[in-house]
Amino acid sequence: MAETATQEFRRNLGELPEAVKDSCFRLGKEPESEREESQATFHNLFLHIHSVRVHVRTLKPTLTFGLGLAATSGFLITLVTGVLLMVYYKPSTDLAYQSIKDIHFTVSTGRFIRNIHRWSAQLMVLVVLLHMARVFFTASYKKPREFNWLVGLGLLVITLALSFTGYLLPWDQLAYWAITIGSNIANSPRELTDAVGITKFFDPGGFQKRLLLGANYVGQDALIRFYVLHVFVLPLALVTLLGVHFWRVRKDGGLAKPEDAPGGLAEWGGERRPVFQPLATKTYGLMALVKGQRPPVNRGPENTVMSWPHLFWAELSVFMVTVAVTLILAFYSDAPLKELANAAIPENPAKAPWYFLGLQELVSYSAFMGGMLIPMIVLIGLALIPFLDRRPGGEGTWFGTSQERSVFWQSLFFSCAVTVGMLAFTVNYGWLRNWFPNIHQLWIIAINPGSLFVLIFAAWSLFILKRKDSVRLAAVSLFTCFLVGFTLLTYFATVHRGPNWHFYWWPSQWPVH
Amino acid sequence: MRDPSRMYRWLLLVASTVTIVYLVGAAVRENYLAQWRTVQNEYRNILREKATDDRGRELLAKFRMEMKQASIPALGTVDRCVTCHNGVDDPRMTDVPQPHRTHPGHILDKHPVDRFGCTVCHHGQGAAMTFNEAKAEDVFWDYPLLPAELTESTCLTCHDAEKLPPDQIPLLTAGMKLYREKSCGSCHKLGGRGGALGPSLDNEGAKTKHQLIMANLKPPHTTWAWQDAHFLDPGGVVPDSMMRNPTVTRQESLALTAYMLSQWNRDIPESYLAPDKIEQKYRALHPVPLTGEQVYRQYCTACHGNGTYTRWDKKFKRFIPAIRGASLISTASAEYLQSNIEQGRPGTQMPPWALHAGGLLPEEIKGVIEYLRAGAPAVPAATALTLHGDAGNGLSLFLRNCAGCHGMNGRGGLAPEIGNPVFQRTANDEFIVGTIRNGRTGTAMPAFQRKDAPTFTDQNIADVLAYLRTLREPSGQKAMAQNATSGTPPGGKP
Repeated sequence: MAETATQEFRRNLGELPEAVKDSCFRLGKEPESEREESQATFHNLFLHIHSVRVHVRTLKPTLTFGLGLAATSGFLITLVTGVLLMVYYKPSTDLAYQSIKDIHFTVSTGRFIRNIHRWSAQLMVLVVLLHMARVFFTASYKKPREFNWLVGLGLLVITLALSFTGYLLPWDQLAYWAITIGSNIANSPRELTDAVGITKFFDPGGFQKRLLLGANYVGQDALIRFYVLHVFVLPLALVTLLGVHFWRVRKDGGLAKPEDAPGGLAEWGGERRPVFQPLATKTYGLMALVKGQRPPVNRGPENTVMSWPHLFWAELSVFMVTVAVTLILAFYSDAPLKELANAAIPENPAKAPWYFLGLQELVSYSAFMGGMLIPMIVLIGLALIPFLDRRPGGEGTWFGTSQERSVFWQSLFFSCAVTVGMLAFTVNYGWLRNWFPNIHQLWIIAINPGSLFVLIFAAWSLFILKRKDSVRLAAVSLFTCFLVGFTLLTYFATVHRGPNWHFYWWPSQWPVH
Repeated sequence: MRDPSRMYRWLLLVASTVTIVYLVGAAVRENYLAQWRTVQNEYRNILREKATDDRGRELLAKFRMEMKQASIPALGTVDRCVTCHNGVDDPRMTDVPQPHRTHPGHILDKHPVDRFGCTVCHHGQGAAMTFNEAKAEDVFWDYPLLPAELTESTCLTCHDAEKLPPDQIPLLTAGMKLYREKSCGSCHKLGGRGGALGPSLDNEGAKTKHQLIMANLKPPHTTWAWQDAHFLDPGGVVPDSMMRNPTVTRQESLALTAYMLSQWNRDIPESYLAPDKIEQKYRALHPVPLTGEQVYRQYCTACHGNGTYTRWDKKFKRFIPAIRGASLISTASAEYLQSNIEQGRPGTQMPPWALHAGGLLPEEIKGVIEYLRAGAPAVPAATALTLHGDAGNGLSLFLRNCAGCHGMNGRGGLAPEIGNPVFQRTANDEFIVGTIRNGRTGTAMPAFQRKDAPTFTDQNIADVLAYLRTLREPSGQKAMAQNATSGTPPGGKP
């Protein structure tokens, strides 16, 4: 007897849960064969950016330490907690501080959520920097990954900008004076234009500062600008670039690996896993036209394992580790909230966010050199690395080419000695202004500890270039010097700079007010 | 080869466990272990014990465990203190421990919590939900909770201290009196009246701890601890302070501290101000002149003492003249005194006192001159000198007899600065001649024409006068100023 429409409807109603489940999880069950595992990967929007199989090296934790993924995880955490905070935050100079206090005191677990947001943001900055160092030292920027290195650099800048714009939003003393310092760094070209005497006609520094703040001081206009940048413009830019970054990783062939990475099939548990059988009906000809090379057909995938589940276990674990670390930090350490912003009571010392403190130290020597020229030199230098060091070799291996490790250690000691020596000298003996009080400011802009750092490090790199006859080694030496300089200056300005930017061994020795 | 993702699965398990533990931990800590819940539990038990009549049972039934707050938009405050201080307006709660106790006194009768909140009187962080953060001494907050005995200082936000019952504001009453007695107005301005030597005290209560030098103070670093220590030993708290030790007892220093904390011109809606406060504002615009003696005591004694003796001031490094001394009063004209008071003595610590500067009314200045005059018997005016002086000879006489104290070019040293423009403009010849002839009793200025042993002839005095008058010329002023910048006080150190 044929099923009536009523019966069909009732049967459909009975099978509703199953049908919904099937439509959402198209496979409908745990994938059993490698074919199904492949389907699980490429039938899912979020997973299909992965290739179906990955080289076993990809899963080696010491290759990448999961840093890129940890940075992404940090971003996801800030995104979720940030949306929660947005519900209560009011971007107005009259209300912002009180709304943060309310989040802290009365919003259910609001304090914890704000702590998570703050800690994951800080971790994100740190991890992005470490990720860049990892990519550099494993030579993973080399062809065809030059473009992705540039995208990564863009992501670094956006990450810093996100963190910096978020700094102002609580509208407390810390925020107010850190952003005042930051906007004065934007104003730093004025040191040069003042020294030459053309500020009246040409004032890029003042323009930059007004563009950033919407006024000549940190006020409501600055707050709303920073808010819009922080919750809309920059996250959108970051997500977009992040998409490009991931897509390029995939298009450039996954993680960088040496040409001679051992082939063969992956085996574990005493079982040799079967290789997928290419469909005879499928043609790969078009791929060959586009990429200039044919994908391996009828050949065992070289030492690869299925992405589902192995890569996804790894990725999920890195994500959860990031979450766990953030939660632990957020549980024990509260995000700072000082007194209400007060333009009449300057913080002393007024310090920028920690990742800009190295810059602030350089700015204390010369605003233009430290705030403008050196950051530009560093950014341009970083951007040019993959285009100046083009000889293949060492990809996907820590210190892959010969002598890299020894050059790294030599550069580490050299730059440590130079940085510590120069800082000690400056603290003890002062600089040109102390010796020649009437000297023209141009001399100080040109010759100061900051510019000397750049010169000495550049000279050291040229020395390595000549002596070792290798562009890669010269790049390694320069990058190491940059990392050491950044780290030591940041540490120095964080710990050893006190009121009036004077030297102190420990913050506990600062005079009280 | 081992399963490549085995390690990651373990890592995932550990990280997920940690995540769950901390999420649950945070949820419990933030929601269920909050301090205020414990306090409200205690309070409910107290309510239960006291629910012996209908009213008590009704209050117990009405009690809810929840955050409570007094939100006062007009004052810009949200005070959650009542979340823990549940019993503030329950008269039965006098015998229970804090924080459940009834608010002392009858203050809440006229200042209900739902109209005034708490922090407008007590300060502290009203938004906070734990006692430590509400007290806000060690957290980042501009105005921490005032100690109970100093809370009265905030009464003046809405009240005129003169009109409040003195027994309600004992410290303020004493502080106000001390402020006048100790002649603080000699150096500090309050309400636009006072000297210019020290900082104006109009908004002293609004200062935060970051605006005061705490380096020489033991913690806790609160503004009242600073004020208190500062009144007991100004130089010990602020090195290089010019302030004289006001020599007060501990209780007096606390009274002055309360008075200083009360000086805060807060922007409070008029509907909150007591009528007498509005009257006080009106009176400030139309002040009633003080008597000469009152003015002298409030605005002169800190430096001049009772005015009958000359005093070497260690901090000022100069003699402070005896302005009520007989020899000065007998020779100085009323105009001379008036312009010196109104315009001060530029270059010395004597500030100008005219209405636009020191805030004294013309009647008050007239009154204080009368008061100065009353301090000494009138002496017949000195006879005028008709001789013409020779400034060159005057200079050599000045160098030999006067410069030792009055300094090269009259720049001043131990003795007053007679090149001073205000002095030159206002001291007439009779005054100068009279002073040289008779000296100034009670000071180091000798008489140069004593009956028994005259040093100067009339011609000598005329010469010196002629020389002194050259200091009035621009070249003389310039010479004096150059001496001043060269840094060596011509009089030398005492």
